[in-house]
Amino acid sequence: MTQRLPQTREVPRRLRAAVRRRVERTKQRARDYRSRTEDGAIAMDGLVFASVIVTFLSFLAGSRWTVIPVVVFLASMGVGWYRYQAEAAKITTLLTTVITVSILTLIVAFLVIESVPAVRLMGLDLLTQIRNPTMDDPALGQGLWGRNDVWSLTPMMLGTAVTTLIATLIAAPIGIAGAVFVSEIAPRRVREVVKPGIELMAGIPSITYGFIGLTIVNQYFYLEFGTPTIGTYFAAGLMIGIMALPTVVTVAEDALNAVPESIKSGALAIGSTRWQTTKSVTIPAGLSGVSAGVLLGIGRAMGETMAATVMLTHTKGFPSPVFDVFSNYGETLTTVIAFEGGNASGVHMSALFAAGVVLFVMVMLLSVASQYVEWRMYQKLGGEQ
Amino acid sequence: MSSVTENRLAAADSTTGDLVSLGVIGVATLTFLASWLLLLQWVDETATVAGLSVLKLLGVGLAVIGGGLVVIGVGSRFDYIDTTPSSSAGAPVGVVFGVLWAILGGLAATLLLENAVVLWLPVAVVFGVVGFLASVLPGEDVGSTLPVAAILILLGVVVAIGGVNAGWTWSPDWSSASFPGSELVPILVVFGTLLGAWSAGKAKEGFGAEGRQAGAYYLIGSVVFAMLGVLGLLIGFIVTNGLQTTLTGASLLGGRQTIPFVGLQVAWPEFPFLLNQTGGLYVEIPGVLPALVGTLWLVVGAVSFAVPLGIGAAVFLTEYAERGRFTQVVEVATNGLWSTPSIVFGLFGLAFLVPRISGGNSIVVGQLVLGFMLLPLVLITSREAILAVPDARRDASAALGVTKWQTIRSVVLPAAMPGTITGVILGVGRIAGETAPLLLVFGGSPYPSTTPNVLGGFRFSAQPPFVTNEALLSPASALPYQLYSTITAGVFPKEIFTNTEFGWGTALVLLLVVVGLYAIGVGSRLYFRRKLHNE
Amino acid sequence: MSEIEPTQRTDLAEQRLTTTGETDETTQAAWTEFQFEDDAKLAVEALDVYYGNEQALQSVSLDVPDESVTALIGPSGCGKSTFLRCLNRMNDRIKSARIEGSVALDGQEIYSDGVNLVELRKRVGMVFQEPNPFPKSIEDNISYGPRKHGDLDTGLLARLFGTDDAEEAQALVERALRRAALWEEVKDRLGDNALGLSGGQQQRLCIARCLAVDPDVILMDEPASALDPIATAKIEDLIEELAEDYSVVVVTHNMQQASRISDQTAVFLTGGELVEYGETEQIFENPQSQRVEDYITGKFG
Ligand SMILES: Nc1ncnc2c1ncn2[C@@H]1O[C@H](COP(=O)(O)OP(=O)(O)OP(=O)(O)O)[C@@H](O)[C@H]1O
Ligand SMILES: [Mg+2]
Repeated sequence: MTQRLPQTREVPRRLRAAVRRRVERTKQRARDYRSRTEDGAIAMDGLVFASVIVTFLSFLAGSRWTVIPVVVFLASMGVGWYRYQAEAAKITTLLTTVITVSILTLIVAFLVIESVPAVRLMGLDLLTQIRNPTMDDPALGQGLWGRNDVWSLTPMMLGTAVTTLIATLIAAPIGIAGAVFVSEIAPRRVREVVKPGIELMAGIPSITYGFIGLTIVNQYFYLEFGTPTIGTYFAAGLMIGIMALPTVVTVAEDALNAVPESIKSGALAIGSTRWQTTKSVTIPAGLSGVSAGVLLGIGRAMGETMAATVMLTHTKGFPSPVFDVFSNYGETLTTVIAFEGGNASGVHMSALFAAGVVLFVMVMLLSVASQYVEWRMYQKLGGEQ
Repeated sequence: MSSVTENRLAAADSTTGDLVSLGVIGVATLTFLASWLLLLQWVDETATVAGLSVLKLLGVGLAVIGGGLVVIGVGSRFDYIDTTPSSSAGAPVGVVFGVLWAILGGLAATLLLENAVVLWLPVAVVFGVVGFLASVLPGEDVGSTLPVAAILILLGVVVAIGGVNAGWTWSPDWSSASFPGSELVPILVVFGTLLGAWSAGKAKEGFGAEGRQAGAYYLIGSVVFAMLGVLGLLIGFIVTNGLQTTLTGASLLGGRQTIPFVGLQVAWPEFPFLLNQTGGLYVEIPGVLPALVGTLWLVVGAVSFAVPLGIGAAVFLTEYAERGRFTQVVEVATNGLWSTPSIVFGLFGLAFLVPRISGGNSIVVGQLVLGFMLLPLVLITSREAILAVPDARRDASAALGVTKWQTIRSVVLPAAMPGTITGVILGVGRIAGETAPLLLVFGGSPYPSTTPNVLGGFRFSAQPPFVTNEALLSPASALPYQLYSTITAGVFPKEIFTNTEFGWGTALVLLLVVVGLYAIGVGSRLYFRRKLHNE
Repeated sequence: MSEIEPTQRTDLAEQRLTTTGETDETTQAAWTEFQFEDDAKLAVEALDVYYGNEQALQSVSLDVPDESVTALIGPSGCGKSTFLRCLNRMNDRIKSARIEGSVALDGQEIYSDGVNLVELRKRVGMVFQEPNPFPKSIEDNISYGPRKHGDLDTGLLARLFGTDDAEEAQALVERALRRAALWEEVKDRLGDNALGLSGGQQQRLCIARCLAVDPDVILMDEPASALDPIATAKIEDLIEELAEDYSVVVVTHNMQQASRISDQTAVFLTGGELVEYGETEQIFENPQSQRVEDYITGKFG
């Protein structure tokens, strides 16, 4: 406590100092810029920025005059490039950065803004309501989407969770086994064929998987296992799992490959078997990369749209028991957007945006988590603690 | 000191133990493959071999594997077979066997004690503990064979004497589906043979460290073999099913082409599925030309939008901007956006771009949305490629008194080009197969009868916005979208194909386009990498 | 890059011809007859190694006796590490490497089919030129080998039943670290990640890791290259002590070190040739070949 007190007293002073430093630095930068840059180049910079801002504003307003600032931009850029190439190049790259960042921000902001009406109507119930209170006989999981102005995402969240879980259970263990096989077990010849092969597989469009799922897998389960509908969470999850496999294998394999050869040699040179080396040295050293691969695969599975859209029944509700993966229910966050987005409006559309936000947040979390573990691995192998 | 056998450098000659293990592995492989044949419906479950139904044969196979494992385990324990087992199979093996035994016990309880189903939990726990102890307490040779053997023999005998046959079904309360013996048996046998091969693989190398390696390799090898098999099958399905549709009416020299100006007709390759319209009155063999052209325009638009922006931003972030919080945030955000579901981008396009640009589905919005999707990837890969250019080269150029921009232009960018190109090609492969956002912002009629005429569509006027392009502002079709609309539309308008047939054909063309792009991308990466290492 | 220009090399060859009046063949003949009383621990016969099309070792033959120290010296890039890696078949891991000839350990050919590499490497341990500790704790690095070979039981079950060899493990770690002259520096942080050690400490850790496995033959690739004089002296003591029971093969760039610790010395010269091999004293005091004398006295290399 006693040590803390003087510090708290110092805070305002420090804050003021920091602000002053920042202002000072900005001024310095501006002076630098003035003295370094020719007047013409400054004019060009100004013109370029002004025209871009006007372009954006008039586009936002949906104006037909948007073309004018675009022409101004092109002209000033063209003249600038001819006269002051270095400055023009710098301003172009800065501009592309600003545009890229603002597009990305715009997407996020727009998703959030558009989902506001649904959130305002439903509040937290959007994510938690499992019975529709306005119905005479509120059954579990029934009438949650659009009946009496109730829009709850719970059935879709359950669907996404179930299909993602099934897909992960398939893709994670088999994918890791595949990565270990390719990087540690397979003879060189086999590896040189299998690795690019698996990378190619990662490129097969999801609609193709969906088509196979629809015509073959769904039929198989319907005919052989007597599922109540053609299309179940299990069949979709299975297909998504197979689809995510190549991603998991590729990323995890890269991670295992990145473990330095000298460490592997060190283990082999004191007489541990190759499997012991893999299990006790390579996999622990590459673990964060492997888990990054798995997280990425989970993200893919969660965001998978087309295969699920064509395979699932688009009936919303809770199976009973919840883990009955062969029920007649079938809708996920992605499929509901793809299936209904084309002709939705009002709160319905806003609810779809809310679904998009939920998806986005989940996938973003997974992505950040995977980047974090990968960064940890980098640190670890770099020798820093 | 270690014994003589432990000290041997060269592998010993094969012994009876090896022979038995090899036999078990052989039977396991055959049974494994046979159960896949049944699962894939290539062999009917009612088929018989030498008077025995295939299902019963699978049971016999399992029982034989189990018997072989008993021989090995007991033989090794009483030193009839020369092995070097560790003192225990280890906790992980014990846990796996414990769980397997618990499942077995639980299932048996639910099936046999129908009146007292509540008992299943205690029975399962008892079985689990027994399984765990049985695999952990004895030496490795017994602990990793007999517990497996017991399961396999039990299952095998039940199947072989017909206790579970093709007609038998299990319909648990908690599932809407029911599990017929005809499917359940092969599935269980697949797992059973994997276990058996693992155990026999260990035994073949005499247990110990090398035995564990062999067991693990057999297990991983079979799993990966099955995985590659399934992935290969998927592609095989598309090719075999799609080939006939795609080749309908195609011939190498059947067509006629009139040479302009001369008026001469020469033989010419004919490929109606690729070159015909999908709909329309006078089309005999419907094709995917509109979709093909649509995909082409989408890719061109997306690339010309995303590539300059992405590369420019990458140059700024790596060369001009100070490395710090800002660049880090941008990096994390772009990585996140690259894994954002495509449908989310579609949603954005629908709500933001459509009303401002075309007021309905259109090519240009499709291009922009796919461009947005491509943008993060271009940024990531070109940033990586630029970062990979060693600082020494920049310094070398700067030391010669060359300005920063000239250094970037003549040193950094050329060196970063290969990585960027590879990344862009792989990204294009992904967006070319992308469907979800197109449903919302792009797609038009399911069976288009005209190809979009983008080049001829420009119109100039004195009114703002001065330039318009009707074709760019109208909806069109693309290969993945075509596949989707064929699947979901009701009946195919022409008699020559059914919906499914046309779908397989489209899927094949789509696969060729996308996988072709990927192959170019992967190939160019290999090429550049090899070139780099030879330097 | 080769250390001597081709023209220079012919000059030297001529010079040798004039000064000693001997041909290359006769010198070679002189030292290949060099024999030990006992059977060789490692017998290398006509060993050729190629990396792609480049030949890194040219028909090398030499016998390594038991219970002694053999030093390998020679200019950088002459194939010392390559030779060392051939002795426990670590070269098998290099994609482009191709090996011809034979190496026998206790009379058993190690390059024949069906040789158990694991068993071989348990018996022929190796310390690499670059330290390569595992990204694990110091303790785990040392006990890794014995644990994997089943000499130490520290598994989950053993720990549960209280039958694990925790004490033996500790004793073994301490013994190995003491012998490698690292114990005093790390005894308080055995649980820390080994990557946090300094380069020289890492090198001694790798030596300790190799000792913990208790091999018959120990191959060391410049074990003292990153060490201060005190640690170097300790490692030299260790090597001499090891030579009482084991066969030690050491690569070194330090002539004094080679003459101090080794019983016999092999001199490789650029191009992967074994130019001379014999009793250390004899090599340093009375080399047979002019090139070796030039190298030892520092005229080149
Ligand atoms: N992995 C490899 N691939 C290709 N060539 C190699 C490889 N390792 C070594 N070489 C080549 O083989 C020759 C001998 O290399 P080696 O590492 O055995 O030399 P060295 O005597 O240990 O040198 P130093 O004293 O510098 O460690 C060198 O010319 C080297 O370029
Ligand atoms: Mg070396």
